[in-house]
Amino acid sequence: MKEIIRRIVSSIVLIIVVSFITFFMLMMIPGDAVEISLGTEATPERVRELRAALGMDAPWYTQYLSWLTHAITGDFGVSFTYGETVTSLLTSRLPVTLSLMVMAIIIAVLALTIGVFAALKQNKTFDIIARTLMQIGDAMPQFWIALIFLVYISAQFDVFPISGFTPFTESVYGGFMSLLLPALVLAFGMIATLIRIVRSSMLHSLKQDYMLMTRVSGMNPVVAIIKYPLRDALIAPLTVIGIQIAGLISGVIVVESIFSLPGVGRLLFSAVLKRDLFLILGLVSFIVTSVIIITLITDILYILLNKRMRREES
Amino acid sequence: MKNKFGVLFVALMLTFVLSACGKGSEEVEDLLKENKTEETKDGLKVAISVDPDGLDPHRTTASSTFVITNNIYDTLVKVTEDGEIVPSLASSYEQSEDGKTLTFHLRDDVKFHDGTKFTAKDVAYSFERIRDDLGPRKDNYQYITEVNVIDDYTIDFKAEAPSASFISDFAYPWAAIVKDGSGDDLKKSPVGTGPYRLVNWTPQDNIVLEGVEHYNKGAIKNVEFKIMPDSTAQVTSFKKGDIDLIETTGDVVETLGDAKIIEIDNNSVQLMAMNLENEHLKDEKLRQAINMAVDKEELINAVWWGYGKEIGSHYPPVLKGYVDTTNTYPYDVDKAKQLVKELGREGITLNMKLPTDYPNYVAAGQIIAEKLEAIGIHVKIETIEWGTWLTDVYGNRDYDLTVVGHTGRIDGYDLLEKYGSTRSDNYFNYKNAEVDNLLSSIKVELDDDTRMDMYKRVQTILAEEVPAVYIQAPTRIYAINEDLEGFTSYPIDVFELKDLKFKE
Repeated sequence: MKEIIRRIVSSIVLIIVVSFITFFMLMMIPGDAVEISLGTEATPERVRELRAALGMDAPWYTQYLSWLTHAITGDFGVSFTYGETVTSLLTSRLPVTLSLMVMAIIIAVLALTIGVFAALKQNKTFDIIARTLMQIGDAMPQFWIALIFLVYISAQFDVFPISGFTPFTESVYGGFMSLLLPALVLAFGMIATLIRIVRSSMLHSLKQDYMLMTRVSGMNPVVAIIKYPLRDALIAPLTVIGIQIAGLISGVIVVESIFSLPGVGRLLFSAVLKRDLFLILGLVSFIVTSVIIITLITDILYILLNKRMRREES
Repeated sequence: MKNKFGVLFVALMLTFVLSACGKGSEEVEDLLKENKTEETKDGLKVAISVDPDGLDPHRTTASSTFVITNNIYDTLVKVTEDGEIVPSLASSYEQSEDGKTLTFHLRDDVKFHDGTKFTAKDVAYSFERIRDDLGPRKDNYQYITEVNVIDDYTIDFKAEAPSASFISDFAYPWAAIVKDGSGDDLKKSPVGTGPYRLVNWTPQDNIVLEGVEHYNKGAIKNVEFKIMPDSTAQVTSFKKGDIDLIETTGDVVETLGDAKIIEIDNNSVQLMAMNLENEHLKDEKLRQAINMAVDKEELINAVWWGYGKEIGSHYPPVLKGYVDTTNTYPYDVDKAKQLVKELGREGITLNMKLPTDYPNYVAAGQIIAEKLEAIGIHVKIETIEWGTWLTDVYGNRDYDLTVVGHTGRIDGYDLLEKYGSTRSDNYFNYKNAEVDNLLSSIKVELDDDTRMDMYKRVQTILAEEVPAVYIQAPTRIYAINEDLEGFTSYPIDVFELKDLKFKE
């Protein structure tokens, strides 16, 4: 309990620090929303006047503090580009990105079985094919796989839309189909690493003495594998999944752009290009918060699965 | 027990995935059929690559905004295909003898999308917004000293000095008329008088417009702009028939087979600017040598697949008053090389800053850099983000060479004025007394022929003194659904949805 409170407090501090660094960096890098929106019309006087009119001529720390005090009360400001509140932009994008990530994770988890079988059939044809595919999967950049999917699958088969997202509330099937390919691409990024980890930790567990014991005791081999080495082998990928979910964000930007999905990743990307300060701050704070929560959950799951750790703690 | 549930879960997921893949195809085909018949009747789908920068025409300079808002709002006057100015919201207009006053008589039968009547008050309000501190084009309208509402349907604009390009300033999409007092909601909920009204804008997804009734009967009723950042996705959708209109590039045209392609000569100008404050580049002879080192035709072929019109000065061929200066310093590497040697500037190093957001400018810059190496000038290329470019190059003039494009204008003066020696947007640091004089006389010269001669003179001087290597006026390429008719091109960077119709 104490541990959890300590972590929550440090998380809040972390979020504020990250938002501060983000703000500071945006102030330091050349170009701001005013210059971008003025484009080649940006004469120095025009920039100065427009900044003043928008309250952007105040010292940066005053601007940051005013953002922070508003943010604490839940007011994340209005996007300069869209003229809409950051909160409503974020909440309308969230279902897309969340569904996409959840689907990608489900696919990745399903793919774990490949690793399990590869370990059971070590050095057999299945294992060799699986390992080759892993190598290829690791080597292919996501944007490339995405383009290949687009040109060779979406363009050929009407069931997969080339662009856009159908909300699940409108059609479960349509929503599923609009996300399947992007989710596959996203999953590709994690699958190779995950399979390799499962395979090697599975191999390790299969060589343990307790496997001999289950054989001796006459236990059904399938039950034995599920009960002991598989359970053991899942701990390692679990930690990795936690880290990879955080890493998914960058993949999400690529995938959402290519498949024209209206998600958080693309929103962040365009916000950065347009130097939409409040939008960037809002999104970064949100992403950091989510990553912290995900890590926290992974840690808890880790403790639940790993009896040894639980014992050590008590 | 737990493990059994796990297996069950996996099995369930698998069935779900497999069944979803299998069963759907028939249903979907039916759905698609339904959609298709519906779409070809009154739905137009246009792909655009970025969201508009808000839908408020008075608060941005982004062409991505005007592509949309041009259909939502009207302007007092409009420019036709041939560059003529014709009445739009104004039924007629007249300029006073001294050229300082412009009087507009407004149409009395126009309503905003919310039903309010359009009057002179809306015009006054709109120009108040255009000219206030938040307006990015404020400077372009500063010469207007007074706006007087005479009655509901008459309005006067007074300028400090006679101005020949006066009327053209009312035809740009950023001079759109918005409703009196509609204020700051315009970014997301625009209220205009135009042929289309906004139904919905889901940022990064789509923008849905609907034709306003009793406006231009026969036009397409429902229009959807799909925001698709990836060009492969746009082309693939177009080929599949999901999208009716895309803007595309020369390399793609070949892959589109017999699709209907429309080429429009644009009035913008792309160039490699030189910083005349640089100790080497201040030498006019060196700049001429640089110009001779670049094979513009080859450059246009390599970067723009040959879609573009070579230029010799800061002026697009489609604009009135154009003079062909492309042969002032024709391509000649040997001569260029010799000139550099004679000037004793062999082996100098110049810094080239290129904006990464515009891959074409980066490519063009790289090719030019190679050409300059060939005549003995080293080029250090630095690619920077657009925001950084604006600050460093455009704002602080901290660069030697850069490649960039300038948006087109209806009147040539608006293109040339940046060469005035005191202008803050003169990032070339170009100074020429004759050009300064010409620019101030053009502004007040009301006789068209005399003005055109002055435009030509400025172009010739620029071509001779080479403050920039003028590359091309680009060609815009659109691929459109072959059933689509009426696509019209305008000298400004927009197209009008109301011109479009599907073949019966």
